[in-house]
Amino acid sequence: MSEQDAAEGNGKFPKKHAVTPITVTHPEDVDLSTIKLFREPAWMLRLTLEGDRSYTRIKIVRAAPLSHPQDYICLLDAKDEEICMLPDLKGVDDQMRQIIDEELDRRYLTSTIESIKSVRNEFGTSYWEVETNRGEREFVVQNAAENAQWLGEHRLLLVDVDGNRFEIPDLKQLDSKSMALVEMVL
Amino acid sequence: MTTTTIPPAAPLLEDLPLSVGRRLAETLDPAEASVIQVATDMADRHTFAAAWLVVTDRRVLLLPATATADTASVVSVDLRQVRTARAEPLVGGGRLGIERLDGATLSVYYSNTLAPKFAEVSECLKQLAGGESPDLPTQIERTRCERCHRILPEKDGVCPACLRKLDTLGRLLRYMFKYPWRMMGLLTILLLETMADLVPPIITQYIIDDVLIPQANLPLLGWLVLVLLAVNVLRWVTWVSRRWVGTWVGFRAIEQLRADLYKAFQYLPLRFYDKRRVGGLISRMSNDSDLVEIYLIFDMPYVINNFLMVVFILGYLSYLSWELTLWVLLPVPPILIGSALIWKRMEAYWQRWSAKWSRLSSHLNESIRGIRIVKAFAQEQRESSRFDRRNAELRDVSVSAERTWVVFWMVTNFLMSFGVFFVWYFGGQQVLHQDLTPGELMTFITFIWMLYQPLKWFGDFYGFMMRAYAGAERIFEVIDARREPFDKPEATPIPKIDGAVEFDGAFFGYDPGKPVLKDADLVVKPGEMIGLVGRSGAGKSTLIQLICRFYDVTRGRLRIDGIDIRDIRLEDLRSQIGLVAQQSFLFNGSIAQNIAYGKPGASFDDVLRAAHAANAHEFIVKKPDGYDMIVGEQGNKLSGGERQRLAIARAILHDPRILILDEATSSLDTPTEKKIQEAIARLVQGRTTFAIAHRLSTLRSADRIVVLEQGRIVEVGTHTQLMERQGFFYKLVKTQQASTGATTTGATTPGD
Repeated sequence: MSEQDAAEGNGKFPKKHAVTPITVTHPEDVDLSTIKLFREPAWMLRLTLEGDRSYTRIKIVRAAPLSHPQDYICLLDAKDEEICMLPDLKGVDDQMRQIIDEELDRRYLTSTIESIKSVRNEFGTSYWEVETNRGEREFVVQNAAENAQWLGEHRLLLVDVDGNRFEIPDLKQLDSKSMALVEMVL
Repeated sequence: MTTTTIPPAAPLLEDLPLSVGRRLAETLDPAEASVIQVATDMADRHTFAAAWLVVTDRRVLLLPATATADTASVVSVDLRQVRTARAEPLVGGGRLGIERLDGATLSVYYSNTLAPKFAEVSECLKQLAGGESPDLPTQIERTRCERCHRILPEKDGVCPACLRKLDTLGRLLRYMFKYPWRMMGLLTILLLETMADLVPPIITQYIIDDVLIPQANLPLLGWLVLVLLAVNVLRWVTWVSRRWVGTWVGFRAIEQLRADLYKAFQYLPLRFYDKRRVGGLISRMSNDSDLVEIYLIFDMPYVINNFLMVVFILGYLSYLSWELTLWVLLPVPPILIGSALIWKRMEAYWQRWSAKWSRLSSHLNESIRGIRIVKAFAQEQRESSRFDRRNAELRDVSVSAERTWVVFWMVTNFLMSFGVFFVWYFGGQQVLHQDLTPGELMTFITFIWMLYQPLKWFGDFYGFMMRAYAGAERIFEVIDARREPFDKPEATPIPKIDGAVEFDGAFFGYDPGKPVLKDADLVVKPGEMIGLVGRSGAGKSTLIQLICRFYDVTRGRLRIDGIDIRDIRLEDLRSQIGLVAQQSFLFNGSIAQNIAYGKPGASFDDVLRAAHAANAHEFIVKKPDGYDMIVGEQGNKLSGGERQRLAIARAILHDPRILILDEATSSLDTPTEKKIQEAIARLVQGRTTFAIAHRLSTLRSADRIVVLEQGRIVEVGTHTQLMERQGFFYKLVKTQQASTGATTTGATTPGD
């Protein structure tokens, strides 16, 4: 089920009762206030839980990169096991926030399509030439109509044949020519 | 003919653009030589632009491709300073991290398109940093078409734009010209059919000019009507016989094509299947061959027919009056352009329509299959409203498609009617000037429609033809792919294998550069039973696949009876290896047929004996049809334990010299397992056996146990030895005991 459906579903069907709260006591529950992220030396990202333990080679990932890109940030250790999750970045100090933003920016290479120069649809395969936030790019999508992922009514994610990702955050914000080209294919 | 293009000898040594090459030359010492030079498509993680990674025998260089960049922006790292390299997969791309001894890292970002290349680069860099000489790959998947430089829809696949259409057509025709006389007949009939279509309007012309206008010549009218009748009879005859002969030849050509494709499927190496989805391959058999079939049987005759028609009509019309013919031709270009444009639109709509339709039907499929879940969560209303939304989307797109279609017909018909207007007006003038007879004018009017009709389909036809060619090309790609070396003449025949297996520094990776089996050394004596243990992904299954020679080692050796496995006759090898897997695959047929699968000539007594030995006899005779029971698709009418016992019976009858048990006893209840253990114990006797088991207790009977960890053999020894050593195996046993203690039942998890 897509995010869109879930969101709509919640709107249409009022909750009959609140969800019964469940407390999970993780054996190694992490007190979020003890987390310290820093680079020491400059090329080494470290995480310490003050007074407890320390990690190097940690990975910072989004739990739901498409629907909640700014919240639910997970910190993983070198073996990709979760250390802890930050439900949001409120109360995170500036220095840590900067590190988190840098690391997220490093990990997610999805490009945003700003305008579309041409789309040719041949034999069920579409060839795109677009201008993205990273500059010009050509890519190929097989069976675009079926493979485009709608993340919202006007939000679209295209994954090309190689697994590169291109997002159109809001179709309505594109110029009319680009929009017409998208309409043509999807 | 699909010619395999020769890949460049050193794919990691790409040609540099001039400016970069010049800058590199300025930077390098005269004696310094490039080992690797590759382009990335991301200059940094925020920019799509080329940059070059160059590795020489003494350092690593990173050169931006922009012309303005001076040598100062070239990053250079001494190779002695490089500790290791790592290709890190990111979301939508990747990063090659070149780590220096002091810990600082040089990062090269790339999009997913280049990820396979940089995986190789990273491996080579790692070897260079370790002081080894790098194993440079000889081949990398093509991502772009060599000719038009378009990105390929499938890696190493067919470029739809650069299909060698004539070659493909020629190859298809060769399938049809296997029956040359019938093909010649078919062409003659086609020609006759076209002529017969053209005659009636000409007869009409004579009726008008020589009978109706002079109001005389009754006998001529009779003759003309007779000719008309004869021509019509001829038309019926040709109409039927064209289809009669056409389908005969066409379906035989398709039959042969399908047979060739299936044979290719059977003999292709497993590696071919790894990279492709089963669905995609099956669609080559179904969809692609359907496309070709429709093309050969229906479209091609139609095209030839219409082409001849156009030529004849134009010839005849210009013979009557070339000026008028020019007027007739005037609306042709707009019709062609218009139809090509609108067909493109139509195609987009149809594609959208089929996408919406498949969404609707997949929703239906999902919600009906999952109806228990829908009801259990009381989500009927939401499922309905989701369905309604998709249904409405389908409606909208259907309406738009239909509307475009209507517009298309209207516009083309309108343009065509212009031709008629021209002919009436200018032709009428010619009739008044006595340059043209009224009958000839009528012929013009009739022919004009016959001329325009096929033009409407022009836009569609081209697209369809291309799809059919692409389908044919995909089929030929499989037919032409390299097969397993079954008929290598210099291979050593081994009619009876003793069963000695020896791994000697063997490496293997499904992707070159990502070895899943590393430096394996193992000597197995004939008749020995080896238990293979390790986490999923540790390399157990890989080891076994190598023994079956589904794959070849990438480095090192694997010997059977002291002979390199690559030199053994494949048929001899495979026919003496037996496999009992976790999910035993049965074919739809009787129980007896399934048991006899590996030994087709087996007598019923042999089958009975094997079934007894496999403890299968007792359950088989309880079935109403006994040994003649049809097991259903993939054996779905039998329980898991029953299927397993049949698989063991099959292996017993096959009488292999080397036996492979891949999780043969997992996912069974305890009493059944006991029966199967018994059966296996009988089967194992006197054969070299490799057994993978998740439940370690089942390996007690193994002569030796081999523990794999991350592709390496880390421990070898008997059960007792390994338990005493308290190493990897001991730990695995302990964790398993702990988890089975916690959950008393169903602690089995499927292995790798």
